[in-house]
Amino acid sequence: MQRQEFLVRTHLDANVLEAWVAEGWLFPLEQGGDDQFSEIDLARVHLIHDLKGNIGVNDEGIAVILHLLDQLHGMRQALGDFLSTMRTQPADLRERIAAHLNDAAPGNDPQT
Amino acid sequence: MSDDPYAILGVNKASSQDEIQKAYRQLAKKLHPDLNPGNKKTEEEFKKVSAAYDVLGDADKRARYDRGEIDAGGAERPKREYYREYAGSTADNKYANADAYNDFADGDDIFSTIFRREARSNFRMRGQDAHYRLELDFLDSVNGAKRQVTLPDGSVLDVSIPPGTRDGQTLRLRGKGMSGLNGGQPGDALVEISVREHPIFTRKGDDIHIELPIPLSDAVLGGKINVPTVSGPVSMTLPKWSNTGRILRLKGKGAPRADGSAGDEYVKLKVMLPDQPDPELEGFISQWHRGTGNQNQATEE
Repeated sequence: MQRQEFLVRTHLDANVLEAWVAEGWLFPLEQGGDDQFSEIDLARVHLIHDLKGNIGVNDEGIAVILHLLDQLHGMRQALGDFLSTMRTQPADLRERIAAHLNDAAPGNDPQT
Repeated sequence: MSDDPYAILGVNKASSQDEIQKAYRQLAKKLHPDLNPGNKKTEEEFKKVSAAYDVLGDADKRARYDRGEIDAGGAERPKREYYREYAGSTADNKYANADAYNDFADGDDIFSTIFRREARSNFRMRGQDAHYRLELDFLDSVNGAKRQVTLPDGSVLDVSIPPGTRDGQTLRLRGKGMSGLNGGQPGDALVEISVREHPIFTRKGDDIHIELPIPLSDAVLGGKINVPTVSGPVSMTLPKWSNTGRILRLKGKGAPRADGSAGDEYVKLKVMLPDQPDPELEGFISQWHRGTGNQNQATEE
């Protein structure tokens, strides 16, 4: 969606949006010289509102949380891809890998 | 959790507005769904805590609630879509980055290469994976087949079923998912296969099992018999004196494997009497029975 629609739907002030983009909290995609926003940007604005508002996180805290959250989601994507690949493998291979992972889990003694 | 907003927030009627806000923040930090991307339970709890704070967080509303003028329910909120739903593991997330595992890509084995590739892929907008289900006949799953899946948008996806496909297996069709953004690669189509049962064949691993009825005469005398296999009937030599329950193996007649080899077919024999009573056979058997009976008596003496 265009910048104008995004501002209306997020109830954001244009200056605030500019500041958030400058901080790297949001990055719209450029298409033909125009900023394009998508559903994930909307949801991210809601999250930032929650954090700043009722939860009471200050601006420094927001940057830290978003940075860690983006790493966490990158990690989840990688793990998700890895798992869905694993699930396509033959049963005996899946079982061997699961057994190794069980052994490696904290508190489990490796089978001898 | 009770419905009493004071109990939900863990405060009491004497608590100050400050204490209520503090209590809410403590809970929200723990329960906000976007701070718990993998935990589905927090959403319901967070909703209750937020509803309680809607009432108690505002001094006027709180006073009205205390006087019994409004109830704790508040207005039902529209279902909120959280950030995590867009940032999730299968979604396109341009914000997600690989910083948390870049170091895994440092080694020089094959797994490091995979993580290097993942790390790069996060900077483009890859399309979402699309999930489909496909039901197959038993023989199509074993021998391979071509199928078409009609997508919600009316277009048709050609799915090539590789020989040896199992029930529950997911086929990944690279690039057949949702299209990517900004030059990003399209997602994959993930097709989950379910295989219908077959009246005679059952599959265990890569082996095929069948139960084969054989006529009494073949069981006693042996001979060539036709055996159904997943790739069509084959002729097999039945040894003399093959009893019910005997299992014969047809090597390489099971389900094909990806490496070009194949499982085996196991044929469990089941001796059948002729369909219609046969006086000649009855006469012969009773004679034979007397004969073996006499023999037994003879050896016992």
